Amino acid sequence: MHNLCPKIEHVSRRAFLKGALATGTGLALPNWGGLFNSQTMAADTAKKRKACILIWANGGASQLDTFDMKPGRPTGGPFRPMQSKIPGIQLCEYLPKMAQHVDKLAIIRSMKTQSPDHPDGIYHMHTCYKMSERMPHPELGAMIAKYAGNIDADLPSFIRMGPTGNAGSGYLGPQYEPFGIGRDGRLGGFTSAYLDEKEEKRRAELFRFMEEQNGKLNKAEPFDSHRFAKERAWKLLRAKKVFDISKDWDQYKDRYGDSDLGRGLLMARKLVEAGVPFIEIGHDNYDSHADNFVCHKANMNQLDPAWSTLLEDLGERGLLQDTLVVWMGEVGRTPNINNRAGRDHYIRAWTIVLAGAGIKGGQQYGSTDQDGKDVKDNPVSEGDLFSTIYHSLGVDPRVKHYVGTRPIWATPEGSKPIKELVG
Amino acid sequence: MKLARLIACKAIVLLAIVTFAQGDAARGQPLRQLIDAQVKAGWQADQVTPVGRADDAAFLRRVYLDLTGDIPNYDDTVKFLADKDPQKRAKLIDRLLDDPRYAEHQADEWNLILFGRHPSEEIRKLGGVRDWLAERFAKNIPYDQLVRELLLAEKGTENFYAQFNRKPEDTTVAVTRIFLGTQLQCARCHDHPFERWTQKDFYGMTGFFVRLVVVDKGGAAKDGRYLIAEKSTGDVLFTGEAKDQTPGKKGEPVKPKFLGAAVLEEPELPKDFKEPDFKNPKNLPSPKFSRKAKLADWVVAADNPYFARAVANRVWAQFLGRGIVHPVDDLSEKNPTRHAKLLEILAGQMVEHKFDLKWYIRELCNSETYQLAASGPVTDALPRWYERARVRPLSAEEMFRAIHTATGYEPKDKKGSRVDDYFLRYLGEPMNGRGDFQGSLNEHLFFNNSGNLRTMIRDGKNNLYRTILDSKDPWDQKVDRMFLTVLNRPPRAEEKERFVDHLSSADGKPDVLVEEAIWVLLSCAEFRFNK
Repeated sequence: MHNLCPKIEHVSRRAFLKGALATGTGLALPNWGGLFNSQTMAADTAKKRKACILIWANGGASQLDTFDMKPGRPTGGPFRPMQSKIPGIQLCEYLPKMAQHVDKLAIIRSMKTQSPDHPDGIYHMHTCYKMSERMPHPELGAMIAKYAGNIDADLPSFIRMGPTGNAGSGYLGPQYEPFGIGRDGRLGGFTSAYLDEKEEKRRAELFRFMEEQNGKLNKAEPFDSHRFAKERAWKLLRAKKVFDISKDWDQYKDRYGDSDLGRGLLMARKLVEAGVPFIEIGHDNYDSHADNFVCHKANMNQLDPAWSTLLEDLGERGLLQDTLVVWMGEVGRTPNINNRAGRDHYIRAWTIVLAGAGIKGGQQYGSTDQDGKDVKDNPVSEGDLFSTIYHSLGVDPRVKHYVGTRPIWATPEGSKPIKELVG
Repeated sequence: MKLARLIACKAIVLLAIVTFAQGDAARGQPLRQLIDAQVKAGWQADQVTPVGRADDAAFLRRVYLDLTGDIPNYDDTVKFLADKDPQKRAKLIDRLLDDPRYAEHQADEWNLILFGRHPSEEIRKLGGVRDWLAERFAKNIPYDQLVRELLLAEKGTENFYAQFNRKPEDTTVAVTRIFLGTQLQCARCHDHPFERWTQKDFYGMTGFFVRLVVVDKGGAAKDGRYLIAEKSTGDVLFTGEAKDQTPGKKGEPVKPKFLGAAVLEEPELPKDFKEPDFKNPKNLPSPKFSRKAKLADWVVAADNPYFARAVANRVWAQFLGRGIVHPVDDLSEKNPTRHAKLLEILAGQMVEHKFDLKWYIRELCNSETYQLAASGPVTDALPRWYERARVRPLSAEEMFRAIHTATGYEPKDKKGSRVDDYFLRYLGEPMNGRGDFQGSLNEHLFFNNSGNLRTMIRDGKNNLYRTILDSKDPWDQKVDRMFLTVLNRPPRAEEKERFVDHLSSADGKPDVLVEEAIWVLLSCAEFRFNK
């Protein structure tokens, strides 16, 4: 006769899509708003402790002067290719150490992307969505922090240093915002207590007393989230020693190379060891509209020892099979060399390199034509790249969240992990 | 089984009669009573147990924040708590509505609604339309008139349209969402997947904005930087779904169409009409026919089916936490609400009272529903049946002001009295995409370790810190004063004991201990949230 349950409880298609049956929480529960039971997913990922180190080639590295050499062609430039330890794979002569590690590398030469300039390119290559969409997309680091991070960790799950992304944690919320470190490895402002340890502890305990008092009467969820975040700030102070590499530096300086990048990658390795799932180190600056070759030679001088040592270091510690190392910038560079011996931005065909975390190394995926002007086979979009990255870290590339009522996925529809890379 | 059904039927019939009777008696009953009756009916029907009334201290802080964007100071707190007048709550509401801070606070809220937290650098420097809003709210200009002025963009409100320069689709999304409570953005690239809106509806609305021209006056920002002119020609050229777009595709012009209503009737232009240029800001041409004016008239018309409901819902949410329809800008048949009847009443009365927001807010704050306690077992931040008061974080602006009031810190100049960049950066957007609060690490690093907060606590002559340190009163009175100043309530027995212990400890210097105690009260969740 009469249906007595209130209409609102009916699972309308709309409510179902909104995940309206879940209660709201600002708390640290993973995948709030997602439709699938990704709380289990996050717990699983954390168990295997996957991590990702992103070496961000700020400004856009030239593929033709690094991994996609075109010797003898008008677009080839003055650098010579060198044979790597795998026949058929050549790279620039200024990456001799990396040449010894190609068995670990998946060199994607067929990136074909959509955003040609810096702000939009940085956004697009950090979120796999266009900046012009005006949606608050989260960066790669925030998504990985959420799904591969450990809620109880003392250290933040998304750490970055130097010139990096411009999108932040977007719709995932402030809990996953990046924790920034200065270029010289120094922690940002507000990371030093102005009280001594005893005083800090005393006021922390008084704070906890007040929270406990409040909690007796008031049970609304935001209160927990507030307390939790404050505890994270205290935990960080406790754990921040790990950012200090000065004691290790003498031992590793020659291997990593005495550069910001070298120091940054050593710190990244240490952070991975400490359980941080995502670290991004920005490498300045590849935006060589003039003097492209001088610029890239100098960069490779830093990149070669730092990157190769990182791979070695991770390998020696048994971390490489669970750590993805990504080298990419926002754009590639033009095959044509301009009148200032520079190369400009190019998105029709360029190169990104992946290693670790089960990525099948020792291969070049996709190729470009003889002058490097276009992709010949297997073009890779931003979405496919991100799918590959997420997949290798055990994160669902199609995990869904909401911005207001609008559902939104971690990668665009149709994105797929590259089979040849992930197996 | 049969008996249960019979009783249930009777209950429904009784409820229907009661509701019908209420509808009849609606005329003459103040809105606050109608609200309470509807909310109570919802509790009964869904068997929800509400909490009791908020105590005076809880009510005091809540209503100060909601009406002035600031907490009460020590004197106002003590006075209100000691007052024996049974009408004191209603009188406080009246006082605060007439306080100049009411207009400032509403201006902050609405400016944020109109521009968001990330306007362009230019718009940010110009302050959006904040000063204009403050002036209008101070005069209690009716809301429909306010919106009309905003949408005509003629005297001081140009920045609203200016922020969308050359992107009439963005204007469409903002105007429909903010003033009509309708989320159209999905229909921009394809027909809406589950609502009734098609792309033609979307671009029908865009037609009203496609002829707007944003003219940069240059010169001093004091005069306002932008003017909004309007062309006599120009149409949206519709080319189909976003996924079918190809370069050079020719579009079909779309006639402006009021949302869910008729196509706009426009006079024909003379055959030899030539669009003038808009180069001279001092002498901008007027259009032969203004779509902008027609849109403004239609949006605020008393019979516009969305306008009254949208503002009634939105202002309800401003005070009661959760919109009757949630999210507030998603008034759709497909978005069900338990309190549909309540929304009809609110919207109807809003129209009857000619969009007088002060009257509306006065009614909301005087309802019993608004004055429920925030305690109890319900964990939702924004309880669905309004069975407990809502809990939401103070905005960056509110935190800034409240910390000033709590510490007694005086800004050195006028610039220092506007919310500063650190507060905006760390407290500006404490929500995730669903609008749920999330504490942020950076916010707490700032609060725990910055010199800024220390300065606000310690610097000054007659502030709380100094008063406590210099006072010769016994410790328990000092603790009373601290709690009354920062949390606007007296301490509970356990709290008093604990704080007296802390402050009279031989283990630390008195100034450090006092600073720590004040810091703890400023840092705790009770301060951070409006409950």
